[in-house]
Amino acid sequence: MKKMPKFIVATVASFAILFSLIQAQAAESTLDTVKARGYLNCIIGNSFVGFYTVDEKGNWSGMDIDICRSVAAAVFGDKDKVKFNSVQWAQSFTSIKSGAGDMLSKGMTWTLSRDSSQGLDFLDTYFYDGQGFMVRKDSGIKSALELKGATVCVLTGTSSELNLTDFNRSNKLNLTPVVFDDASVRNTAFFNNNCDVMTNDRSGLAAARSTAPNPDDYLVLPETISKEALSFAVRQNDSTWANVAKWTFAALVEAEELGINSKNVDKIRKTTTNPVVKRFLGLEGDLNKGLGLPADWTYQIIKQVGNYAELYDRNLGPDSALGLVREGSLNELWKKGGLLYSKSFR
Amino acid sequence: MDTQHTEQSGELLKFVPRPSRPPVTITYGPAGWLKKNMFGNIWNSLLTFTVFALLFLLLKPFFEWTLIKAVWTASTRRECLAISPDGACWAGIFPWFNNLMYGLYPDALQWRVNLGFCIGFLWFVPLALKKITNKMFIALSGVTLFPFIANYLFLGGERSTFHYIVSCFALAYLLLIYGNIFLKYMGKKQFEQYIEPFTGRLYRKNTFLSAHLMILLLLTIIIAYLLGNLTLEYVSVDVWGGLFLTIIISSVSIVMALPIGIVLALGRRSEMVIIKWFSICTIELVRSVPMITVLFMSVTMLPLFFPNTMELNKLAQVLVAVCLFAGAYMAETVRGGLQAISKGQYDAAKSLGLGYWYMMIFIILPQALKAMIPNIVTSFISLFKDTTLVSIIGLFDIMLMARNIAIDKNWLGLHAEPLVAISVLFFVICYTMSQYSQRLEKKLKTNR
Repeated sequence: MKKMPKFIVATVASFAILFSLIQAQAAESTLDTVKARGYLNCIIGNSFVGFYTVDEKGNWSGMDIDICRSVAAAVFGDKDKVKFNSVQWAQSFTSIKSGAGDMLSKGMTWTLSRDSSQGLDFLDTYFYDGQGFMVRKDSGIKSALELKGATVCVLTGTSSELNLTDFNRSNKLNLTPVVFDDASVRNTAFFNNNCDVMTNDRSGLAAARSTAPNPDDYLVLPETISKEALSFAVRQNDSTWANVAKWTFAALVEAEELGINSKNVDKIRKTTTNPVVKRFLGLEGDLNKGLGLPADWTYQIIKQVGNYAELYDRNLGPDSALGLVREGSLNELWKKGGLLYSKSFR
Repeated sequence: MDTQHTEQSGELLKFVPRPSRPPVTITYGPAGWLKKNMFGNIWNSLLTFTVFALLFLLLKPFFEWTLIKAVWTASTRRECLAISPDGACWAGIFPWFNNLMYGLYPDALQWRVNLGFCIGFLWFVPLALKKITNKMFIALSGVTLFPFIANYLFLGGERSTFHYIVSCFALAYLLLIYGNIFLKYMGKKQFEQYIEPFTGRLYRKNTFLSAHLMILLLLTIIIAYLLGNLTLEYVSVDVWGGLFLTIIISSVSIVMALPIGIVLALGRRSEMVIIKWFSICTIELVRSVPMITVLFMSVTMLPLFFPNTMELNKLAQVLVAVCLFAGAYMAETVRGGLQAISKGQYDAAKSLGLGYWYMMIFIILPQALKAMIPNIVTSFISLFKDTTLVSIIGLFDIMLMARNIAIDKNWLGLHAEPLVAISVLFFVICYTMSQYSQRLEKKLKTNR
């Protein structure tokens, strides 16, 4: 009986410590945590051509990688102060909630349910995509509406699968989905005639087409059946940190609008007299104060990572594995008819 | 006596020749074997031909793909396809071979992994030698001391003095083992016996042990002096991968599975209620969920219970999960062995006046484990293969590395070849394990 009170005291004490820890972590912004830690934790997936891939030397590259690197460049002035954690789809939400990751950028589509009930705040879209179909040229099919009774290769558990079901129902096409877990396996199945059609985001289709034994045998149909806004996100209810991530991306777009890129930024910084550019590069004013970032944060982003156009060309553009043409797509600047529009740097 | 031929019918015995024997059928050599097993009668012959035809139909495309039409040198997959569109493109494996072995471990530091594995291997070589007597002790020392060296080599970075000294001690121990083996095969006395006269003056009792310790101490000091507090470059666990990581995870879990399993199995058979129910709950809970769930739990749920700022090591989380899982399965295997031991053994042990632990350690468990060797090795093999599941939670083990080749810019879409390559590798390793177990069984069965 003598030991009982001791046990209770110990339990109460440990709970008290636990609660105080929880309290402590709730009060702190991720920005402070990241600064104190000295590097950024970025959540990505296992591999996604053009968005995040690792080479045999262990270097990550891709669109999402560059977004995370820009944030690191803004916060630390060093694009390499970032650690990439590749996680499975289901795990991405918990890793943000638990604080294992500071930001999530893994080619995730911004949807209402993910934004509202997964503890995430989506901030901005860095790539506008949409679901399409790919068929063999010799099938003679020219439109997705001609796909009556076809078998469709699709990745299971993705929004592509759900969109396909919707499209099938609304157009009464009687499609048979053939589901796969792994994109490479799905591609091989399609190239080996195991299904008539393959569906995925158009960027994914482009990547798949480039792996075909003979890419010219395949045709991507003109229809786009869904909206896939690939966006980055941070933990919900952390505006200080959200601002940093959001405006880092805005800086990438703004730099392209202003015609500043990694090659000319040094020269422009020295010679410019344009007040807009001066303010943007932190030579005038104190835009950085509210964000809690160093004055040269935009300069570091552009110098080390580049502007949006450079990111796009490097990872998704015609010279990359995906070979996606930017002209005329939604991923152009608003001035050229696209959707990229940076809010005012003022 | 053959009455038929020797029957007396009057005066003389009439000669009746025996019916001649059928011609000799060849029952030896390859020809005989073929005739006996494959072409015994018409149906057998038909069956043989059908099976061979089927095999030919199945294997021909496979061999064509893997060998005849395969491409061995190319710089991109596109090039491979240009050379031979329906052959395997092995060229993609070679640039990634290092990654399949070591993951993202820096190229310049991979010698540390090799060295570590060599030392680990050296530790277990004496177990196969005939003249060595204290094998149990060497194995135990390997299991307890080697992790320090491995940790020092694989992870690197600043280490505490304690860790450094233990690593030196481990090296000293290994050196002593080999020194003694050398002396033994030369037919000389052991090192300890040379020193015993000196140490005997210091300590009257346990002269051998004190000599042993003295040598180890001396060697440790010499090694520590030679290495001079060497600090290796830090290599984060995040870049560990490939076969290296697979072997780390599986060997840790294999080593941990047996003790955990034995404790849980004994606990389950214990008469102490709390221990008994604790063991039952652990075993049943872990066994009734898939391994992937245990892994997911440890990686996604565990961080929720820890404060934000605490950096959890993914590998450690995985190791805990896999050890727990392997332990629970091993517990049931060991329990099967325990139940196979007749009650007479327990009674005999007790009548000798042995307590619970003496009885278990010296009488029951050796018999139980011996009986369970095939099962234990089976679970080791399946454990080794199960570790590829960690690729799903984003550890760069050999499986994930193989899948990454398909997403490399140069080798986009190359996914079948890496899988074939690593399945060959897995076959070699698992087959070796099973052969070793059969050898072990034969060796241990001799006294029964």
